[in-house]
Amino acid sequence: MSFLLKRTLGAGKNLGRAVLNSNQYTGIQRVATKTDVATPQVETRPTVAKLDPLQKSQLIDFGKYIAECMPKYVQKVQITAGNELEVLIPPEGVIPILQFLKDHHSAQFASLVDIGGMDVPNRPYRFEVIYNLLSLRYNARIRVKTYTDELTPVDSACEVFKAANWYEREIWDMFGVFFANHPDLRRILTDYGFEGHPFRKDFPLSGYVELRYDDEQKRVVVEPLELAQEFRRFELSAPWEQFPNFRGNPVSEEVVNQSGDQPKKE
Amino acid sequence: MGLLKKTTGLVGMAVAPNPHHTLGSLYGKILRTLQKMPESSVYRKYTEQIVKERAAVLKQTKDTYEIETKINCGQAEELIIQAENELNLARKMLIWKPWEPLVAKPPKTQWDWPPTKA
Repeated sequence: MSFLLKRTLGAGKNLGRAVLNSNQYTGIQRVATKTDVATPQVETRPTVAKLDPLQKSQLIDFGKYIAECMPKYVQKVQITAGNELEVLIPPEGVIPILQFLKDHHSAQFASLVDIGGMDVPNRPYRFEVIYNLLSLRYNARIRVKTYTDELTPVDSACEVFKAANWYEREIWDMFGVFFANHPDLRRILTDYGFEGHPFRKDFPLSGYVELRYDDEQKRVVVEPLELAQEFRRFELSAPWEQFPNFRGNPVSEEVVNQSGDQPKKE
Repeated sequence: MGLLKKTTGLVGMAVAPNPHHTLGSLYGKILRTLQKMPESSVYRKYTEQIVKERAAVLKQTKDTYEIETKINCGQAEELIIQAENELNLARKMLIWKPWEPLVAKPPKTQWDWPPTKA
């Protein structure tokens, strides 16, 4: 009897400790005991994105190649942390650079993936136009960035890439960047009588007008905005610096800088 | 005569009847266009290198399959398209003259990221 009790009770205690120590259940994590705090283990597993130094070195070489072939138009070449090569050019160089990247034997970026715009109101040339290209032959991507302001036109990329047609219409509609020699530059996403360029930073979230159906006039009328509640702004970013350990790390590494001026050193 | 190629396998791309001859003439045209550029231009130097390398392969063999495997950049019809593209590019480069020094420097803060100190 007592033997039986001892078996059940004593066995239970030992069994529990054996389970924790033997680690046959890999899901269970051992809570740190006093013994293993003294030896911190260096993390060797890669983070979410695997580092690819070969791809990075190939991209850096190609960036230098572009800068050497077309020094008239390449202001800067940089590479970001995720192995993304960016070529920064003035608006005069859009057609030559895109044509070079599409046609040259060692480039062959025949696929225009996207044309995006960006608005930074503080800059003298506030809008950036960003062309993303893909080379199917060499499985490589590249980004070409230009700048312009509200009134200066940029050459349309439609003669180089037919796909640029609707993308440039979208940038015209959303930002107001005019593309010279575009076959058909008109609005594409906004409503037919819409005034304004919604993606600009000074365009409010709710817009300036509201539409409603008016029963007396028997049509949709456009009236200035009337919100029931005033716009509340929530400050979502914390007041403290989020990554103090990465203060000195720049977003992108310069490969070639022909524009000459150094970035601000703080 | 050798094996006749029935299809390229790619939609819309017809089999070229005599790729060796076509490629030879295209490479010749590219090299003649490149001669008009200044000697110092890097574009001319590297493009000449690529085209001469491929033309040398053409001299070695007339067999289409051997040309494709030695150049190792896709099928003969694709090589013809690449050569035509390079010819167009070289002719446009003569007008644009990209070997000259930088035409427009960016404004001081243009390419800074993040744009403000925050």
